[in-house]
Amino acid sequence: MRASPLRHVLAPLHPRLEVLHGMPVALHLRDEQPGWAGVLGVCDLSFLPRMGLKGPGAAAWLAERDIPVPAVPNRWEPLPGGGLVARLARSEFLVEDGFPGGPVTGLAAQLQVGPGVYPVPRQDCALALTGSALTELLVQTCNVDFVAQDAAARVVTLTSMVGVSVTVLRLPADGRHVVRLWCDGTMGPYLWETLTGIAGELGGGPVGLDSAFPDRSA
Amino acid sequence: MSAPSAAPGRLPPVSGEWIDRSRTIDFRFEGVAYQGFAGDVPSAALWAAGVRTLGRSFKYHRPRGLLSFANHDVNALIQWGARLNLRADVEPLEPGMDLTAVNTFGGVQGDRARVLDLLGAFLPVGFYYKAFHRPRALFPFWERFFRRVTGLGRLDFRAPRLHTPKRYDFADVLVVGAGPSGMAAAVAAGRAGARVVLVDENARIGGSLGWQRGGDTASLERLRALEADLAALPNVSVRPGTLAAGWYADHWIALVDAVRMTKLRARATIVAGGAFEQPAVFRNNDLPGVMLASAAQRLVHRYAVKPMDRAVVLTANADGYRAALDLLAAGVSVGPIVDLRAEGESSGLSERVKQVGIQVLRGHCVLEARGRDGRLCEVTICPWDGQGNASTAAPQKVACDGLVMSTGWAPAAALLYQAGAKMGFDERRQQFVPAALPEGVFAAGRVNGVFTLDNKLADGERAGLEAARLLGFDAPAPRSVAPDLDAASHPWPIVDHPAGRNFVDFDEDLQVKDFLNAAAEGFDNIELLKRFSTVGMGPSQGKHSNMNAIRLLARIRGASPGEVGTTTARPFFHPVPLSHLAGRGFSPRRETPLHSRHAGLGAVWMQAGPWLRPDHYAVPGKRKSENVREEARAVRTGVGLIDVGTLGKIELYGPDAGAFLERVYTGKFANLKVGMTRYAVMLDESGVVIDDGVVARLAEQHFYFTTTTTGAAVVYRELQRWNAQWNLDIGIVNATGPFAAMNLAGPKSRAVLRAITSLDLSNEAFPYLGVRQAEVAGVPARVMRVGFVGELGYEIHVPAHQAGHLWDALMQEGAAHDIRPFGVEAQRLLRLEKGHIIIGQDTDGLTHPDEAGLEWAVKMDKPFFVGQRSVDIVRRRGLRQKLAGFRLDAASAAVAPKECHLVIRDGRIAGRVTSVAFSEVVGAHVGLAFLDPDLSAEGTPFFIRADGGTMVQARVVALPFYDPAGDRQKISG
Repeated sequence: MRASPLRHVLAPLHPRLEVLHGMPVALHLRDEQPGWAGVLGVCDLSFLPRMGLKGPGAAAWLAERDIPVPAVPNRWEPLPGGGLVARLARSEFLVEDGFPGGPVTGLAAQLQVGPGVYPVPRQDCALALTGSALTELLVQTCNVDFVAQDAAARVVTLTSMVGVSVTVLRLPADGRHVVRLWCDGTMGPYLWETLTGIAGELGGGPVGLDSAFPDRSA
Repeated sequence: MSAPSAAPGRLPPVSGEWIDRSRTIDFRFEGVAYQGFAGDVPSAALWAAGVRTLGRSFKYHRPRGLLSFANHDVNALIQWGARLNLRADVEPLEPGMDLTAVNTFGGVQGDRARVLDLLGAFLPVGFYYKAFHRPRALFPFWERFFRRVTGLGRLDFRAPRLHTPKRYDFADVLVVGAGPSGMAAAVAAGRAGARVVLVDENARIGGSLGWQRGGDTASLERLRALEADLAALPNVSVRPGTLAAGWYADHWIALVDAVRMTKLRARATIVAGGAFEQPAVFRNNDLPGVMLASAAQRLVHRYAVKPMDRAVVLTANADGYRAALDLLAAGVSVGPIVDLRAEGESSGLSERVKQVGIQVLRGHCVLEARGRDGRLCEVTICPWDGQGNASTAAPQKVACDGLVMSTGWAPAAALLYQAGAKMGFDERRQQFVPAALPEGVFAAGRVNGVFTLDNKLADGERAGLEAARLLGFDAPAPRSVAPDLDAASHPWPIVDHPAGRNFVDFDEDLQVKDFLNAAAEGFDNIELLKRFSTVGMGPSQGKHSNMNAIRLLARIRGASPGEVGTTTARPFFHPVPLSHLAGRGFSPRRETPLHSRHAGLGAVWMQAGPWLRPDHYAVPGKRKSENVREEARAVRTGVGLIDVGTLGKIELYGPDAGAFLERVYTGKFANLKVGMTRYAVMLDESGVVIDDGVVARLAEQHFYFTTTTTGAAVVYRELQRWNAQWNLDIGIVNATGPFAAMNLAGPKSRAVLRAITSLDLSNEAFPYLGVRQAEVAGVPARVMRVGFVGELGYEIHVPAHQAGHLWDALMQEGAAHDIRPFGVEAQRLLRLEKGHIIIGQDTDGLTHPDEAGLEWAVKMDKPFFVGQRSVDIVRRRGLRQKLAGFRLDAASAAVAPKECHLVIRDGRIAGRVTSVAFSEVVGAHVGLAFLDPDLSAEGTPFFIRADGGTMVQARVVALPFYDPAGDRQKISG
């Protein structure tokens, strides 16, 4: 029933699909090359369950439910199972499950309007960028110095990339270069086409979930 | 193809030369074959081959050769295929180059336009401001003529787009200029631990260390040592061939290299870009063979080219003496050195030139140069008073094929100016130097008024350490640098001559007399002088002319150069290819989640702000107008479905949400019942209509409202801005992207919807203007009964990821009712028939609500709303115009007016059409138009000037055109 904002741009790439968390997910793309994910892979993760909330009571609401709340804005914390909670502003949060799942569905069911806590609908286009040429792609598309960011500091950056408002964070992924990226779903196809175009020039391209995250345990 | 010409001017290998003699390169210039080496540039290879005329001057088409050989030889612009205005003094030589000089008529040698040099008396400064205006009928002729003769290069519109992706970069310290001071600065900052980027526009780093040797190898050894220091610092990125073209706020610097522009963000900037050597001004100072001393030194040391066989050196500083020694070492016969200074050179260089037998004439000037066959053959030397007055009683004529000039420098300070530095004129040094620098900006070397080598190195180290310390790096305190004692620039390197042709600006062929005439006409301010005379407005942007122009104007006004000041230095300070500026050309585009559905149905796209929307759905064999009418007919008679997901959508929560809406919209919302919607109009503070939409109350403290498609981002931003001031207890969420929306409209819409929802759709349970939350096709939805198109209709909002599922379900269930998707064009027609306005189309940036017929939506009895005070003022002034409905008289319908066509009364503009279309249900063209208020009464006839000037008669009619009672939106069944 759910569909990724990239459904129609992925379709011509002949994806091998599997439904995960209620959305068809491209596990592999017919024409992707084995090395692309290591050089520069662009992978659709829009299927991951996520929720947003904001308001002066949002931090306390999460804490009451044992969700680790980043102490300051523009930081994120990992969740068991590979998910994360990102503090996008003083009183706005994004919570996303990992591949096997997480707390999002349960939290969303509990989230009612007010007082001081308001749901933020999240129908994002969510991407993962992987590979050794990641830095070159980032400097061609965004004016933030991600190289200077310490991945261990778990920084969340809200910025503009090729004219699209994005939320970006670097994952400390055991020596691999992985960046997570979220944008409004309506900008997703444009962002995807632009990033995969540049990735192609840099020796990479669009990849399926199995290539980008071969060790995932869904 | 003829064999390449030999290169008689090529020297034996020179230590540090940039050419690779193992790789020869064949190329052509003006149809003749030549040969150079890898690492060469066209000017060097041609000069080595004995070619002296490399181009023609802009105005008089005089032969020109090398002048600066420093990326500013704008008379030696060349074209290679589609690549035009390449600079022959820096463009890397490539195999197969087929080059021509630009700005010639019949080739650089036989240029037919050289006749203009004889017509100079008829082409005084600023002549084009005065001439050719009468008779007026001939002006187009002259305009075409001058456009034809004045362009540089020929644009080839078939040229493929170059791939020039931009990139961003970051550094703690950016050092601009990799001469001795820049390299020393980079080493100092790098050793302190800073992330340093060192850029230089030249193909290799080193600056004057490489070419200004003074006849020995000490400077070259220093260069090698500095290169080794830099190589040992992994945190220093050295980028030759990279120009820092502009400085922007917060240390954003545009770096331009051969393939791209890099926008570099630095925490500190060190400008060590050196200085531009300035030409002396005397008669025929533009003859090929007359060049700057630094140009001759670059020819020798970078490209191993002998600049001339016999050189006269005109100088006023130590650099000229160094040049004499360099030329002598290259096998050039040198002498005399003509020193403008009566006292001559005070350093040890004076003794060195004496020891090698070079004659020095102190207190002398070059009065004029003479040429033969387009090249220098003789100079005339006279004693002078240092103030421009030559004693011509006993002129000394010296045969030579080269004259090198080193009489002054101008700082390459454009980046400093752009960064906000205050520059002051130092009388002792005769140079503009930084008087006050912004925080994080440093200057070092010649641009800082420091010219001796030891001082340049020390000054660079000082700047590097200061920058590192400012940024918090652990660096030692810098040592102060002793000032240079001698001026490197002469205060008046200008010798007037009654016969003229003493050029100040080589780009624009401006002579001394042009400045005198401009000042005499009143253009005696440097900015006015620039615009009238065009000094500094050519491709080199005044790098070789502005300083002498300032000195001339100062002399004319009896002021100092400091009092005259400089012109504004705007980025880019050096031309940048448009391809570099274009980059990839990002064009962000938004697509609704239903995009692929529309594409599959044959959508013809239109752009609405960043969105792509279906204008209509093409049916093979049918024209657009037919498709649009059929889509509209389906809505009027059956059921249609349109994607309205582009509407702005905003969630508003909190105890003050109702109060907030009361303030931002003109209507009342505190009393809006839960489960109902209401039309809303938004004004700005001047009372102008800026947006409209529908507000739905989903709960006591929860509203959900729409904005116009193009207004969403602005409205959301404005709401946040307002509440930052009001501090009400609300939460605002932009839900434009997360929610998809579609409007199911038409008398059969209820039947379609009923099949996929359990929601009670009866008029009683779900009345017109109601809103309900329910599952539709299993998707959680917000359903609003609104009637923008004037039929029974349901606007259904669902999470974007599930929109496709709902669309498919509606289309599937609607198939039995011949459902038809309809596009923006049909929707425009349908709403026009209902008299519903579109903000931005039927309003403009000055429209007040009363003018647009929205007075009913403005509740002045509220305590406050944005724009209320302005509306009150405007109402007291009376209407300026009135939006009215009109219908074309049947006889005129054959020539339909279009949107923006003017309403004409008594030959004057009395309004304009904002919307117009043929309405099948009305049986005529109908539209909306802004009219003078006295024309807006129902039944009033008026005329619209349509295409071709045809006057079309229309008549004001009451709105709406269709279903005035509104029954269609409320039908049962």
